[in-house]
Amino acid sequence: MIEEMERDENVFLMGEEVAEYNGAYKVSEGMLDRFGPQRVIDTPISEAGFAGLGIGAATVGLRPIIEFMSWSFTLVCLDQLVNNAANIRYMSGGQFKVPIVFRGGNGIAHQLAATHSHRVETIYARIPGLVVVSPSTPYDAKGLLKTSIRCDDPVIFLESEMLLGDKGEVPDEEYTLPLGKAHVEREGSEVTIISYGKSMARFARPATKVLVEEEGIDVELIDLRTLRPLDLPTIVNSVKKTNRCVIVSEDYGYCGMGGAILAQLQKPCFDYLDAPIENIHSDEIPVPFNHYMEQAMMPSVEKVVAAVKEVTYR
Amino acid sequence: MAVANEVENRRAKSGKSPQSDGKAERERLRMMMLIRRFEERTYQEYTKPGQKIGGFCHLYSGQEAIAVGIAALFDKQRDYLINGYRCHGHSLALGMSPRAAMAELFGKATGCSKGKGGSMHLFSAEDHNLGGHGIVGGHIPLGVGVAFAQKYKRTGGVTFCLFGDGAINQGTFNEALNLASLYKVPCIFIVENNGVAMGTQVERASAEHDLARRGCGFNMPHYNVDGNDLDTVIAEFGKAVERARNGEGPSYIVANTYRFRGHSMSDAMKYRTKEEMQRARQRDPISLYEVALRERGLLTDEQADAMEEEVNKLIDEAIRQADADPHPDIEDRFTDILAEQYPLEK
Repeated sequence: MIEEMERDENVFLMGEEVAEYNGAYKVSEGMLDRFGPQRVIDTPISEAGFAGLGIGAATVGLRPIIEFMSWSFTLVCLDQLVNNAANIRYMSGGQFKVPIVFRGGNGIAHQLAATHSHRVETIYARIPGLVVVSPSTPYDAKGLLKTSIRCDDPVIFLESEMLLGDKGEVPDEEYTLPLGKAHVEREGSEVTIISYGKSMARFARPATKVLVEEEGIDVELIDLRTLRPLDLPTIVNSVKKTNRCVIVSEDYGYCGMGGAILAQLQKPCFDYLDAPIENIHSDEIPVPFNHYMEQAMMPSVEKVVAAVKEVTYR
Repeated sequence: MAVANEVENRRAKSGKSPQSDGKAERERLRMMMLIRRFEERTYQEYTKPGQKIGGFCHLYSGQEAIAVGIAALFDKQRDYLINGYRCHGHSLALGMSPRAAMAELFGKATGCSKGKGGSMHLFSAEDHNLGGHGIVGGHIPLGVGVAFAQKYKRTGGVTFCLFGDGAINQGTFNEALNLASLYKVPCIFIVENNGVAMGTQVERASAEHDLARRGCGFNMPHYNVDGNDLDTVIAEFGKAVERARNGEGPSYIVANTYRFRGHSMSDAMKYRTKEEMQRARQRDPISLYEVALRERGLLTDEQADAMEEEVNKLIDEAIRQADADPHPDIEDRFTDILAEQYPLEK
């Protein structure tokens, strides 16, 4: 964010506690001192108000970054994102564009219970006019966010509170990553694992390590990075090659992200599949507060390993 | 002498010098006539057999002085306007051709939004017209954002953010006015209070019947204006414009008016009495202004007749063209969704 704000004076950051408090999760630490209150702006608790403010500012040439303390809170401003951000371009016959990034933590953090643990990916990824991005590493987060800020379309940028403390290589030099392009993180020949965001970092990636190192299964691991537009060619080609597929997402199964991806793969991959596609998802329950119940409802490394063994008949 | 003073007062109110040749005033009258004619002909086209206008359609007849008053204050280089779905009037007043507006109502490729928006979503980037929004109150925060950008970029522009008396009961109204005042942005909130949200009278929807008082608590000027008197609209809105341009922040104005037609085309208006409607007709903003201009010697019978005839012709021609215009190419339904091509590298 700092690099992009230095690069383009039309970029500003707005949200609850982003300025004087230095960010609810310290993401924007030091930015107020660096850019001043004109460009790093605290808001009252008015998600619909400041989300809409950002959209209005974007239609006339600014590039707002709107931070939500949690994506769960966007349920009170859904109209702004779905009706305004996504539709203005279409309804105006292409006369206006909405270059804006909405970002914040998505999904199940830790013991925040049902209201604060929503996984919103399919709420937004089903809407034409929106771009939905979900990074799984610090390197990806920076590269994808920079492209998102420069993008002329509204971007839903799904972070995870649980990944904010993750450490990883992030080069100092300038780099960006493409939107709408999946990343084949490990090439393999026996099974394709598809995931994104926190599910990639906490379940799919460590499970792959176990499967490769301990079970000797040659996994092809794909990080979607962008959920809309979905990079269908990359995942279809992979499944055609490996003939087996496991999708990992902490979203729900019914009407969730994994099910949506599965539906996209079903027809083009049907003749190539040696086993039904497995969709590893969270239990169909509100997110419980209790630590053990919460852990139990989510995907896990063990569940992914078991699913891969099942589709590879091991 | 008393009459002469009255005329002087009116001149002072309209902000025009006593030497005014009446050209600007006659143009305002012409625009009000044009909007009225557009709406009444739209009503005819919508209701006649073989209906060519589909969907929801909300007419502006009776409220013309508000849109035309704003247009008189509007600086096209730097100001913006955003509105709810009763948006035909302001779009025409800001410069949209009747043909582009009518073609949009017909869903044609030549419509301002290429047939993708319809009656509720008239947009014109060229006119700084940001729509036309279909969800009641949903656009109010956007107006604050446009004004925020004007302040951020120091353009000196102001944003006119219009909505109806129904919208003030949405949560976004509260959030938007508070944000606008906190950030001191040049946004002018204008409630077009026509007394009834669809079929629910203000008294049945707002615990506070004086809607200007709903602007209390935001630390900004909040006042009622006679929305049917064009000179008053220009003078009173003008104060808010000046304030906003001077960096003194937003204002909240309730322009009291009356819509002559129903909420939308399916509305039989059973919630209104004949007497109420007759009373309202006495205060038709177009008649009021016409009389005022005649009193001031700025309008002759011939000029008024010629104007009416010209406007009628113009709207007839717009309908003829819109009718003849092509529907959009069916494949164009996939365009104008995203601005970028994906995969996207930057």
